[in-house]
Amino acid sequence: MLFNSLEFFIFLPVVFVLFWFLFKKKLKLQNLLIVVASYVFYGWWDWRFLSLIVFSSFVDYTIGVLLKNEEEERKRKILLWTSICVNIGFLGFFKYYNFFVESFIDTFSLIGVELHSSTLNIILPVGISFYTFQTLSYTIDVYNKKLEPTKDIIAFFAFVSFFPQLVAGPIERATNLLPQFYKTRKFAYENAVDGFRQVLWGFFKKVVIADNCAKYANQIFNGTEEYSGSTLLIGAFFFAFQIYGDFSGYSDIAIGISRFFGFNLKQNFAFPYFSRDIAEFWRRWHMSLSTWFRDYIYIPLGGSRGSLSLKIRNVFVIFLVSGFWHGANWTFIVWGALNALYFLPLLLAKKNRVNTDLVAEGKYFPKLKELWQMSFTFFITLLAWVFFRADSVAHAFKYLKGIFDSSLFSLPEVLPYTVLALVALFVSVEWLGRHGQYAIERIDFIKKPLRWSFYLVLIMLMFLFTGEDQVFIYFQF
Amino acid sequence: MKKFTKNIILFFLLMLVTGELTVRFTHAVSDIPQRTIDEFGIQKYKPNQRGYWKGGDHTWVVNEFGWPGILPKSYDNLVMVIGDSFIENFMNSNECHQSEYLKNMLPEYNFMETGRSGISLIEAMEISKQLDTLKPKQHLIYVNDHDFYESIVEVKPMADITQLSLKDSMIVYGEMKAPELKKVLYNWKLLYYFYNRFPISGSANEELEATQKETETIQKTQYTKEIIKLLNYIKSNYKLTDKTLVFHPNSNKTIISLSEEAGFKTILLDSKNDKTWTFDYDSHWTCYGHERAAEQISIQIPF
Repeated sequence: MLFNSLEFFIFLPVVFVLFWFLFKKKLKLQNLLIVVASYVFYGWWDWRFLSLIVFSSFVDYTIGVLLKNEEEERKRKILLWTSICVNIGFLGFFKYYNFFVESFIDTFSLIGVELHSSTLNIILPVGISFYTFQTLSYTIDVYNKKLEPTKDIIAFFAFVSFFPQLVAGPIERATNLLPQFYKTRKFAYENAVDGFRQVLWGFFKKVVIADNCAKYANQIFNGTEEYSGSTLLIGAFFFAFQIYGDFSGYSDIAIGISRFFGFNLKQNFAFPYFSRDIAEFWRRWHMSLSTWFRDYIYIPLGGSRGSLSLKIRNVFVIFLVSGFWHGANWTFIVWGALNALYFLPLLLAKKNRVNTDLVAEGKYFPKLKELWQMSFTFFITLLAWVFFRADSVAHAFKYLKGIFDSSLFSLPEVLPYTVLALVALFVSVEWLGRHGQYAIERIDFIKKPLRWSFYLVLIMLMFLFTGEDQVFIYFQF
Repeated sequence: MKKFTKNIILFFLLMLVTGELTVRFTHAVSDIPQRTIDEFGIQKYKPNQRGYWKGGDHTWVVNEFGWPGILPKSYDNLVMVIGDSFIENFMNSNECHQSEYLKNMLPEYNFMETGRSGISLIEAMEISKQLDTLKPKQHLIYVNDHDFYESIVEVKPMADITQLSLKDSMIVYGEMKAPELKKVLYNWKLLYYFYNRFPISGSANEELEATQKETETIQKTQYTKEIIKLLNYIKSNYKLTDKTLVFHPNSNKTIISLSEEAGFKTILLDSKNDKTWTFDYDSHWTCYGHERAAEQISIQIPF
């Protein structure tokens, strides 16, 4: 079920009413309702893949319980690795099987050996990368004794399948989300209003910004050879806003909806395009995934400690794995490697934590230096997005070659002023609201009539500038 | 919770009002004219209506006879142009109608359009009969293969379209489908906007695919006998000497020959080796398509 579908507009109020009115004071029933609602939400897409979530949840729940009673380290390790193998096994089979088979055949064909093996027609279950990582975080935290394993199977199943963030994140940690299933919930007006506002902003990002940018990004990326350098640059610019609007919009909707039900999810995007260097960008982009990799891969590998070669290795590992997580395609791996190359000089010069504060805090405008830093960071990010969006690595190189051509200084063939104006409006609101968890979080200082008018304007803009309906990009991951 | 519910309801109501105003002001959906059934059982539009097509680029008009389009200045040397949504042609401005192009190409004649989306061949014949009082010299009836199949109850029963029951040799007049619901839907623009944005019966593409599949199935099975019976009925009940069937490009050749055998004059439009006649987003003709069709008709029209 998509958030921007008629089904969801019926589904959500029904679940809301049942949750707060029918099961008001019954925690267990509320949790059970979340499990059922989440399975309906997911099964709407393809009910057959529900079995994967159920199996994954059951395995990790059982392993959690067994880990609690097991003191012997060797056996604890076996339990941990069982969970890792089951979860990564599913992910590997559904997401990466064909990639490995094809890459294997290609490698042998390079040395003149023709292998004959057929790939499988595998459907990628929606959201598998998200819920797999979420449930893995539980087992790892229990193994590391950072979290007390739950005995409440319903709460655990609800934690794994929680519908607002099931298919595209944020990837929640068990330490944050799971305890919220144990506490009796009380409806909080401020929370619900805030959630509503965040949902609205998320829809605006998705429907107005992402879908409109997608139209031109697709047109330009699909016709790379036909366009001038300036148009190709505009295409990459539109893709940068498409992916940001799409993914952070989804996160906002997910976080907002969770707040309707009294849950607090972690911030997933913190205005990444206002970053002054690539390290700051990665602290602000898809934060739930970045921190997951940091805590469960980067730090266990040694992080930024150790010899120079170890540091370099760790940076490359985390960025390559991050790229590979996004998809079974070399384009994502090159995208990851490129970001590692961007990041490495900062780490080696020990400047990766220079910009940890908010840019131009308390000011309307940034300093010239900050503006330059932000523009440069955005530009190199945009070049990396070309690999992320391109159909193949060759396509990405052709695209980049096309950008850095003498035609870069010609007038673009595609210049949709309306969409550019919408993006400008969006960036302005984001800039003004960068102190909050999302751009319009702190709008409360405006009087109610004006505030409501602003919300209505956002909704009307959604009516007027609804782009062609696009599926959320991150569903494919 | 009370405060939240109250505010949500209030906000929702405000949103409905603002949404309605925005959709109306910006013509985010097309205005849809109201239909009626006249005393002869013909489903047409209520006379003298006017409205905007989606986006507000142009307006459509329904004339005093209840048919879309502008009436000719004179009814001398009159040629009737009868057809379905291609002739109704709300999606193009009045300058891009068949009657306009044909009048420019054949200035000595006057053209009057009677189009309504979904009409069948037998319905077109019924319409032409009622228009005989205007003493037209010729009736140009624009058809495709569907219009034959959809004329026969036994092949494809459709309650809202006038059809022929072969079993009883009798015309079964169409009825208005959910008129009250449609009235609400078309007048509540915001609801209509959402109805278009989130179609209940699947996406527009799915519907189109379903129709195409259905047509393919029908074409495979042919129904030649039924079409012959239909044409025999038409031959015995209507005057055919002043009727020309204008077939859409790629129409079924067998149907064309059967129509000629029955006594119709025919024109087969040809869009091969030409740039597309239709919109990207729907199968109707653009201004270019209409002009090209009119050009071919003006050359072949049998006066």
